[in-house]
Amino acid sequence: MEVEPISQPAQEKIEQVENADLVVGVLAQLDQAGLASVCDSLRELPGSPRVAILRDDHAANPAPATSASDGNGSSPFVLPWPLLHSETPGTPVVNMSNAFRSVFSASEKLGARACCVIASQLETKTPQWYSRLAAPLLEENLDLVAPHYARRKFEGLLNSSIISPLLRCLYGKRIYNPMGPDLGISRRLFQKMLGMIRIARAGENRAHPLASLAPAALCDNLQVCELHLGARVYPPTDWTNISSLVAQVLGPIFLDMERNAPCWQRTRASVPVPTIGEPLFVSQDTGTVDITRMVESFQLGIRDLPEIWGLVLPPSTLFELRKLSRLSLDQFRMPDELWVRIVYDFALAHRLRTINRDHLLRAMTPLYLAWVASYAHDVESAGPAAMEQRLERLSVAYETDKSYLVSRWRWPDRFNP
Amino acid sequence: MWEQVKQALAQSTARFLTGFANFLPGLAAFIVALLISIVLGCIVAWVVRRLLVGMEFDQRLTRLGIPASAESSSMKSPALVVSRTIAALIIMVGFLIGLEAFGAEWTSLLAQTIFDYIPHVLGAALVLLVGGMVARFLARSVLIGAVNLNLHYARLLSVGVKWLVFVMAVAMALEHLKIAPGIVKLAFGILFGGIVFSLSLAVGLGSKDLITKSLERDTQKASAENVEEPFRHV
Repeated sequence: MEVEPISQPAQEKIEQVENADLVVGVLAQLDQAGLASVCDSLRELPGSPRVAILRDDHAANPAPATSASDGNGSSPFVLPWPLLHSETPGTPVVNMSNAFRSVFSASEKLGARACCVIASQLETKTPQWYSRLAAPLLEENLDLVAPHYARRKFEGLLNSSIISPLLRCLYGKRIYNPMGPDLGISRRLFQKMLGMIRIARAGENRAHPLASLAPAALCDNLQVCELHLGARVYPPTDWTNISSLVAQVLGPIFLDMERNAPCWQRTRASVPVPTIGEPLFVSQDTGTVDITRMVESFQLGIRDLPEIWGLVLPPSTLFELRKLSRLSLDQFRMPDELWVRIVYDFALAHRLRTINRDHLLRAMTPLYLAWVASYAHDVESAGPAAMEQRLERLSVAYETDKSYLVSRWRWPDRFNP
Repeated sequence: MWEQVKQALAQSTARFLTGFANFLPGLAAFIVALLISIVLGCIVAWVVRRLLVGMEFDQRLTRLGIPASAESSSMKSPALVVSRTIAALIIMVGFLIGLEAFGAEWTSLLAQTIFDYIPHVLGAALVLLVGGMVARFLARSVLIGAVNLNLHYARLLSVGVKWLVFVMAVAMALEHLKIAPGIVKLAFGILFGGIVFSLSLAVGLGSKDLITKSLERDTQKASAENVEEPFRHV
């Protein structure tokens, strides 16, 4: 059974290349010069592996097929490839997931030893990072190379508040950007992912090629490392679409929790993973930020969504939220313990299908914005070290309260505080 | 004279007692049919409910996108609704069989009429059930969506949508029941139009201040959006 049906033109492109050691999917909007620097960087890989670059054929200036090949068999082959489906705007996570699946399929067809996805543009113009992402997969037989971007305090907030600390607490490994999106994946891991997608297609618990990647590697005790990179350029926030974004990101993560429950219930503490390179620091803004909009959204939620939140959250949490809603902007602080329990209760409600899952995830948005507002208050004048400490406290809160999640997960009816 | 009165009295008593004696078997049959149907209905309802719970009927409905049952109290569980509907149908059939036992022409006619009407009632009940579910689902979608857009009249919108859909479902059910179709159409038109008009008035006049504030806030937000915000989520 095919995971990703490969079209006839794509099949012809694969036949042109025949095989490759490494497949690199380029989702980032790179111009010809950018693509050339990717090729140059990959040429530096030791052992001169045969590299195929899949470039999104919806990109602004798609390169002609095999344009970068110089005919000696060592240069990367550039293949225009349908990676991002631009006909579905407003679904960046879904599009990214489809692109990953497409890269995995092509890698399998080409018999690649590893694949990489380059989805971001970094602020620091050091093109060597492309080869640094791929090298550990080919040389050290690592299975997953995850990025560790230099972070600014108000960027990647969904990752900082939920994804990274939750996966750290669940699977016991400290990966700062488990959902990449710039990732290196070994053959063993992408084949496992393709297998999971094949199995899941028959059932309803679909594996998500991006969100399931780190949990799948960690549950199988595969070799994972982090690569220190510069700051990532994030797309601007679309405030009208934020609930959709929350639903797209958290849905697959909660589904994975369901699939991997036997694995994460055994895990206790967390440990760091090996890192490559030195941490990079970026300048931080220290001015005040306006949190009015986010607090207003939360207060509106408290006023209009209590029936829905009441189905998901225990009375003690609702009581705390009501108290929080009465605080002035200056005093607005959401305790980490409260936020952690909210995330756990939503994950549990997702598993129990307490309400329609899309409604559930979207109803979490005002609570998420309340956390962002509280966090913004805490770190608005903080430097990089203070910000890291603040996020470390949050991660520790996730780990400390894991027993609550395990108890509610095992006995949802009996254990209800 | 007295003899004739006595005779008439005796005859009327005999006729009444004969009639009553003729009626008694029918009554007994009616009571038996009703009792059996109640017992049978309860048993079938229990079995159906167990089966539906066993096959996670409520959860399956939720998975199909029909508003969840787990969120409802046990009285509103779809499995319970289905089992109770089946029980009610069996009791209804028992009642009609009992009526037939009287053997009177009017009871037969009544039973026939009711039997003919049952499909309409079932159709109307289904329309109401689905309409209610859709109304609740849409109302919740609108409420969450509007709150996430920071609209201060989110609840008003949600209630408006819920009643629009529900009124439409009731009108369709009444149409199905063939109850005064002309009046129903007229009443539906008036009521539906009324709700839309009330919503428009509420937005335009009644909640003028609220809307003004909200729109002002939106405008401020729009201008604020032009100022680069530092928050990046994904």
